[in-house]
Amino acid sequence: MRWVRPSVAVFVGAIFFVPLYLVLANVFKQGARIASSPMSLPVPPTLGNVVAVLTRPDQLFWVSLTNSVVVTALSVIVLIVLSAMLGHYLARTRRTWTRVLTLILLAGLMIPPQVILIPITDVLRVAGLMTTLQGLVLFNVGYYVPFGVFVFTGFIRGVPVELEEAAVLDGASRTQVFWRIVFPLLRPATASVMIFLGVWIWNDFIDPLIILGPSQGTTITTGIYRSIGQYQADLGSVFALMALATLPVLVFYLALQKQFVKGLTGGATKG
Amino acid sequence: MWPRVWHFLSFGAPGVLVYVCFVLAPIGISFWYSLTNYNPFNPPISYVGFDNYVLLFQDNEFLTALKITSILTAIVVVVPNVLGLGVALLLDRPGWLYNALRSVFFTPVILSSVVVSIIWSRLLDNDGPLNAFLRVVGLDPPGWLSDPDVAIYSLASIVCWQMLGFCVVVYLAGLQGVPTELLEAAEIDGAGPVRRFRAVTWPLLAPALTINTVVLLISAFKTYDYVKVITNGGPGAGATATIAFNVLATGFDANHVGYASAMAIVMLLIVAVVTAVVLKLLQRREVDL
Repeated sequence: MRWVRPSVAVFVGAIFFVPLYLVLANVFKQGARIASSPMSLPVPPTLGNVVAVLTRPDQLFWVSLTNSVVVTALSVIVLIVLSAMLGHYLARTRRTWTRVLTLILLAGLMIPPQVILIPITDVLRVAGLMTTLQGLVLFNVGYYVPFGVFVFTGFIRGVPVELEEAAVLDGASRTQVFWRIVFPLLRPATASVMIFLGVWIWNDFIDPLIILGPSQGTTITTGIYRSIGQYQADLGSVFALMALATLPVLVFYLALQKQFVKGLTGGATKG
Repeated sequence: MWPRVWHFLSFGAPGVLVYVCFVLAPIGISFWYSLTNYNPFNPPISYVGFDNYVLLFQDNEFLTALKITSILTAIVVVVPNVLGLGVALLLDRPGWLYNALRSVFFTPVILSSVVVSIIWSRLLDNDGPLNAFLRVVGLDPPGWLSDPDVAIYSLASIVCWQMLGFCVVVYLAGLQGVPTELLEAAEIDGAGPVRRFRAVTWPLLAPALTINTVVLLISAFKTYDYVKVITNGGPGAGATATIAFNVLATGFDANHVGYASAMAIVMLLIVAVVTAVVLKLLQRREVDL
């Protein structure tokens, strides 16, 4: 009976894999054949779809890619700096009001973006940041700070405070202590925050759709969304665009797979 | 005193400030809007008290959205949790095959919901691969996304497909944390596989169950992307319009900002209360080893 488990596992995995196969097969298939035989193998394979997307005259892919890279990178960097400092402050200052503040911040983890998006557009409009990448980055920072704080406070509580006290006795300033001694120790937490927020912000759809607006630029996800309206007939390009949009995240995931799972499961096991 | 204030200003304040500007203040503004008849294209704004809230609970569209969202949330909380545990138990073995399968199950988690939506709207199309297959087998399949009675269940299945890998990975990590000595001791005491699972493994998976349930609950309740991309609230009158979808459709497309804000505030209260209750109940189950 030793073959039962592997065969069941492969069978279940294969069924689960079908939607992913649909993308893989159709990226390399001629557009006309996608509609007529979506599940067939791409024989003979063609790079036509990918080339068509990369060389579109309106540069939809390249503009979207640039926007997504800029928004994701800036948001994640600012989020790491702000939430590491705030997390450190909250973990080390044990007073009633910081505990309340921590709770208020953690409550942010469950707030659906739709609840705040309408007033957000007004806030950004007043600040002159509506339909700008800066506005989207600022919103991302505010919206995801709770997650960063959640990861960093939890991690910093497990880091011995004696190191910091020793450095203070040696005459280092608070900022020096934090950046030279504490921050390097937070590498695993920083990695989790970078991975999760990187993937979430890259894949984010509703926030860029509303904040960047209908005419002003697209990120990779809103770019795909706009393209299905435009060339419904050209399925080949849609599949190629989806594959190209996913490729960076996929590479990122495969490169950091171990940390990914570690970050995801940090709280799943009591340790 | 001053060093403490300075410590807060330099370390705590920047993060708190953006959070206040982009989360807390907007909630306050939303609440204020919800007490008015604010419509940017129909001034002046006047204060209407809790009229919007009263209207909301007489509004069939909202009550339908509430029902749709509840159905979707119930399915998305239960199905990936159950199937995820099953798949995790199946894959809880060393070896390249199981490693590769773990990656297969996790891949949808890192896909954009827009990508997932487009893939599935092709698969579930009336003349798509799934129906072609079912017709070959001799069945008469429904319009998965075009039949108003079926569409919401199709959407729920799509969300389940995307979230399954998350549950699998969390459960697998939980299973790693079950000490083999305990399982061996139970076996020596004569417990069969089912008994071992119920008495040893399952109680120790409580933290994993908590994480999965809370994450699924929060993400299911705000389902928007799939609805926007796949059905745009249809087919028919709001057959798949979730609360999250209705909030933005009412606020941005119909410009009834006051009314949409009341909807948003009710949505926030529901999420907060349900999450808090579920979290409390589940954490009470967690045992310390």
